[in-house]
Amino acid sequence: MIEIKSITKRFPSITALDNVSLHIKEKEFFGLLGPNGAGKSTLMNLLIGYLDADEGEIFVDKEKVTRSSLNVRKKIGLVPQSIALYDDVSAYENLQIFGSLYGIKKNLLRAVIAENLNRVQLYERRKEIVKNFSGGMKRRLNIAASLLHNPKVLLCDEPTVGVDPQSRNAIFDYLLKLNEEGKTIIYTTHYMEEAERLCSRLAIIDFGKIISAGSVSELLKLLPYEQTILISKNKATAGKLDLFKLFGTLINEQENYELKPDSGIKLSGFFKALEDNNIDYGSIDINRPTLEALFLHLTGRRLRD
Amino acid sequence: MKTVLSLIKRDYILYWHDKPAVSLTFLVPIVLIYLFGSIFGGSNNTPTGIKLAFINNSDSKIAKKLESVLDTTKAFRLVKNYTDDKGNTVAFDTNSVKDYVKKGNAIAALVLPKDAFTDTSTSFRIKFYYDPKNEMEMQVVEGLLQQTIMSQMPNVFMASMQHKAETYLGMDKGMSFNRKIASLVSEYYGIDTAKILKWTTYNFSDSAMSDTSKSKANFFSDLLQLDKEQVVGKEINNPNATRSVGGWAMMFLLFALTGSSTSLFDDNKSGVILRILSAPVSRVHILWSKYLYNISLGCIQLAVLFLAGSVFFGVDIFSNVFNLILIIIAAAAASTAFGMLLASISKTAAQANGLGTFLILTMSAVGGAWFPTFILPPFVQVFSKFTIVYWSMEGFLDVLWRGANTAEILPYVGILLGIAAVVNVFSVWRFKKGNLF
Ligand SMILES: Nc1ncnc2c1ncn2[C@@H]1O[C@H](COP(=O)(O)OP(=O)(O)O)[C@@H](O)[C@H]1O
Ligand SMILES: [Mg+2]
Repeated sequence: MIEIKSITKRFPSITALDNVSLHIKEKEFFGLLGPNGAGKSTLMNLLIGYLDADEGEIFVDKEKVTRSSLNVRKKIGLVPQSIALYDDVSAYENLQIFGSLYGIKKNLLRAVIAENLNRVQLYERRKEIVKNFSGGMKRRLNIAASLLHNPKVLLCDEPTVGVDPQSRNAIFDYLLKLNEEGKTIIYTTHYMEEAERLCSRLAIIDFGKIISAGSVSELLKLLPYEQTILISKNKATAGKLDLFKLFGTLINEQENYELKPDSGIKLSGFFKALEDNNIDYGSIDINRPTLEALFLHLTGRRLRD
Repeated sequence: MKTVLSLIKRDYILYWHDKPAVSLTFLVPIVLIYLFGSIFGGSNNTPTGIKLAFINNSDSKIAKKLESVLDTTKAFRLVKNYTDDKGNTVAFDTNSVKDYVKKGNAIAALVLPKDAFTDTSTSFRIKFYYDPKNEMEMQVVEGLLQQTIMSQMPNVFMASMQHKAETYLGMDKGMSFNRKIASLVSEYYGIDTAKILKWTTYNFSDSAMSDTSKSKANFFSDLLQLDKEQVVGKEINNPNATRSVGGWAMMFLLFALTGSSTSLFDDNKSGVILRILSAPVSRVHILWSKYLYNISLGCIQLAVLFLAGSVFFGVDIFSNVFNLILIIIAAAAASTAFGMLLASISKTAAQANGLGTFLILTMSAVGGAWFPTFILPPFVQVFSKFTIVYWSMEGFLDVLWRGANTAEILPYVGILLGIAAVVNVFSVWRFKKGNLF
């Protein structure tokens, strides 16, 4: 469905994308995970034909995407990273303005707008100006505005930034629904939780390079351990940090410590050590490792600083 | 084309929701046009009811006549007495009248002295007492006073002339000179020689001067009447108001179109341009829509403001409406080019608006939007010709004042469209190079 072939994009001061190649299948929910400045938005802008690449080619549904190819854009919807709406006009008028750019007939457009407003629970508030909307409402409208022409491919560039958890869940559910209905979705984020929850496949991008790609479970196999051990921060554990460090790398997280077992370490040995030191099992949680851990493993840095 | 139309429609929807922009385009300039048009060219531009303290110490008939003329003209309101400490109404004397002015109760005191005009006076004497802080008002008062005397009592001058002749030529020669003049006037104007010779003994009423054939009776009263007549084109009701209308309209046209062009920056920042370009829309579409929208908005704005001028001041916009429309389109096109140039050379909206405000004010001053360019120093006038405002104003005034035909305004239209073309080529080149969108 989407072919990204050896794309390089240079800005005067930086190479934002360096020989990026990706293949995204039809109806896939594909994630692009990377820290700020990794080049995610740049790739989105290339996919929609807002920018031209310096090297390489992009095909969407077998049509080449460039700045001058207008037709292929009817197959793609872009949800920009910023809230790309007019603040001073109503939700309805916003959709009218953007819908009219696709040459949708007036009557059809009216129906399409109503449907899309309904699907993001904004129909009742269609006459209010966007300025008065909450962050979550704006984000939902930002998505609705990209779907009026019923595109096959939906590009979502960090569509949940600045949104409360409840709205965020609503957006996730909606995007999953759209994917179920057959839309191919590319979703960029720097939250690994989002990527894990939504994406059937994803690529990790850093400094303009794809450092690995695959399904979440495929990616996690790249780690030298299969579990991480979460240790609560409390009196009992506070004095035993040196003990934990014998079993692997200890990372000081906000709410707890995360222990990444060195290869060859057996969990039974770890639990024996806990018993010997009178540490309650309640302070310990064994988990599947996260993409965060993978990113750290691959780059030596955290996703978010 | 459909895409461009959709984009233009978008601009109008957004514009309509932007109430400050709407009022800056129409309401504010209309108010300014009304105010400045009233000051500089309003239908009633002579002041009325200027308060003057007044004493007439002269017995001469001519002084009496002046007093009654001043009493009846609308320009002045004469105050002849004041209320003293005890609440009595007292007629002015020289001291009290000075005091009255000093206290700021009147702009000046006008005193006709005892010898204002005697049998031998060679001129009419008037004395003013005034406070220097009223210098400006005094000039108006003097002007009005002279105008009143000239138009209402021209015979003062005939009488002065006769007295002068008698004083300087000697009684005999002078009288003979006066007799000859009188008989000439009498012969041609049919006024009794005796009356002409004996000004001072006559009652200086209009009937005395016009007791014969009416058509000739105006010999005296026309003597000093200022009749203004336009030497160019058709009668126009209100030339100065026309300049105000055109000038303010041009200035606010430039402001409106600069504002509209710099909205490209906001669209870029909010990501709306990205959204628009992610639809089947090209950058060329956006530029075309912006140009056409600006030009159409500019034409509407100018048309509305001229219409306001016509309602307020009777500026005649309809008898030469086709040529007015031509020059309006050319002015709107050139101003659009100006706004787009600013957007293309600036890095931020604030920069564009700052530079724009500076350039617009300069161009308006230098280009003749506020006052005619001839009052500027010659070297500044050279710069006038490099401004859009200048050529637009010349065009407007030629159409509205001189009733210029299409051939006559073609140079202005040509220059404005030429400026627009050159500037547009440059700004499109800049847009292509820059990353505004
Ligand atoms: N128009 C541009 N001009 C110059 N540099 C840019 C431009 N757009 C993005 N960049 C740079 O390219 C890099 C990637 O940016 P971006 O794609 O926005 O990252 P992300 O979306 O992953 O946060 C950043 O270093 C950014 O500063
Ligand atoms: Mg981004």
